[in-house]
Amino acid sequence: MPADGSFWSETGQLVRAVGRALGVTFRNFLRPPVTVQYPTVKRVYPDRFRGILALTYDKETGEENCIGCRLCEFICPPQVIKVEMLKAEKRNWAKTFTLELYACEFCELCVQVCPTDAIIMLKTFDLATADRRELLLDKDRLHALGLQHEPSWATGNRLRDMQAPPKPVKAEARGEGKAAAKTAGEPAE
Amino acid sequence: MPPVLQHAIAGFIVLNVVIGLVTYVTLLERKFAARMQSRIGPYYVGWPHGWLQPIADALKLMMKEDVVPDRADRWVYNLAPIAFLIPCILIFATIPFAPGLGVADLNIGVLFFLAVSSLEIVGLFMGGWGSNNKYALLSAMRAVNQIISYDLPFVFAALVPVVLVGSLQLSVIVEAQRGWFGWHVFSVPGLLAFVAFLVATLAAENRVPFDILEAESELVAGFRVEYSGMKFALIQLAEYAHMIGTSFLGALLFLGGWLGPGPGWLGPVWFLFKAMGVFLVVTWVRWSFVRIRVDQILAISWKLLLPITILLLMATGLWVALQGPRAG
Repeated sequence: MPADGSFWSETGQLVRAVGRALGVTFRNFLRPPVTVQYPTVKRVYPDRFRGILALTYDKETGEENCIGCRLCEFICPPQVIKVEMLKAEKRNWAKTFTLELYACEFCELCVQVCPTDAIIMLKTFDLATADRRELLLDKDRLHALGLQHEPSWATGNRLRDMQAPPKPVKAEARGEGKAAAKTAGEPAE
Repeated sequence: MPPVLQHAIAGFIVLNVVIGLVTYVTLLERKFAARMQSRIGPYYVGWPHGWLQPIADALKLMMKEDVVPDRADRWVYNLAPIAFLIPCILIFATIPFAPGLGVADLNIGVLFFLAVSSLEIVGLFMGGWGSNNKYALLSAMRAVNQIISYDLPFVFAALVPVVLVGSLQLSVIVEAQRGWFGWHVFSVPGLLAFVAFLVATLAAENRVPFDILEAESELVAGFRVEYSGMKFALIQLAEYAHMIGTSFLGALLFLGGWLGPGPGWLGPVWFLFKAMGVFLVVTWVRWSFVRIRVDQILAISWKLLLPITILLLMATGLWVALQGPRAG
């Protein structure tokens, strides 16, 4: 309690402060809850959601998109991706593709560098498990995940198109975008 | 039927009603608190809106292991929850829920209530001392310090309606509030006393913002830190029973108890409604403020609340002496 003459002003301040504090909680009380009952109700995730990684198939031919170029392995900061290339006549394949999801930091760099849109992210994060070995994803598992869940918007080519400098002519921009796709080793600044 | 038996039966019924009420008040508080934080609160145990949650909690607590600390003072430690619970339940003995509905409508009801509810300190301190835990002991010392400090303004605030009516009998006090805007809270001394009563209630029940005895960051869980299982449940039951009892007292003294529009049998409903209103205000305050320091708590009690309530009581007494008591 103040000893000087400001007793009444301080008391007034105190009363106002009490009123404001009670008002804040009361306004909150009238507001509907923001809770989303997660397992039964799912929020709509944004298009750029960065979730679990997956490998894709080509939509027309049904072939695997991955050519085993190991760009994702080189760029991965926590080094959780391991790829072995299988050389062939027409195109190359990934002999093995392992992703240690338990150490992944979901930076999306592998998606950004992928020249063939083979690795993408999904709009899901719900892969809880009691055994950490189940998060060591191999090629089959990654392909299966890609079929199970909804993919995010981002793919390598889309991201590079978005980040490339503006082009005067559209046709030229396409050509350059493809050229960039072939040589892209590091993400565009 | 001999009157002793009648009282025993009434007491048994009231005891069970109180325990049931206390169990469900926890759900009410959790729901209310959740809404204040834009949450939903208990939801999944029982449809709709988790109404079985208190039962589940009680079952869980009954099945918990009962741990007694190695160096605890066993007798004191084991008796403490009971010594804490008895006064908190006993205060309901004198509360009339409607005209003639209650265990014993004593002619010194207010005095009985105030005297018995102060006894809870004994059980509380036994718990803190018997646990042989420094946090529990510190908490119990703080609690005794605080409860003794706040019992005085609490008593003085509760005595204002007593002086206004001129009777210590709770049913008489309620009947004196009959009439248009007749509740004590609508008169100037009554309103001031009600505010003082609420603040003192918060402190006497050790609720936020006066909950230094269980300041989590310093004292873990306060004096009940060593308790588990059914003993912990008894302590929780006692705390909530005390809270409900004080809410009932506030509704009786200031808000006209069972008086309200509608037929007479609606009386207990009105009473419960008002008491829960008082309880929700206390809860509302709990979720709006932060904890106050020890010295601030004591300063509020001794330097502000106590002089104000004493002056209020003296002014009320003077006014009543000049005017005569309100029709009782």
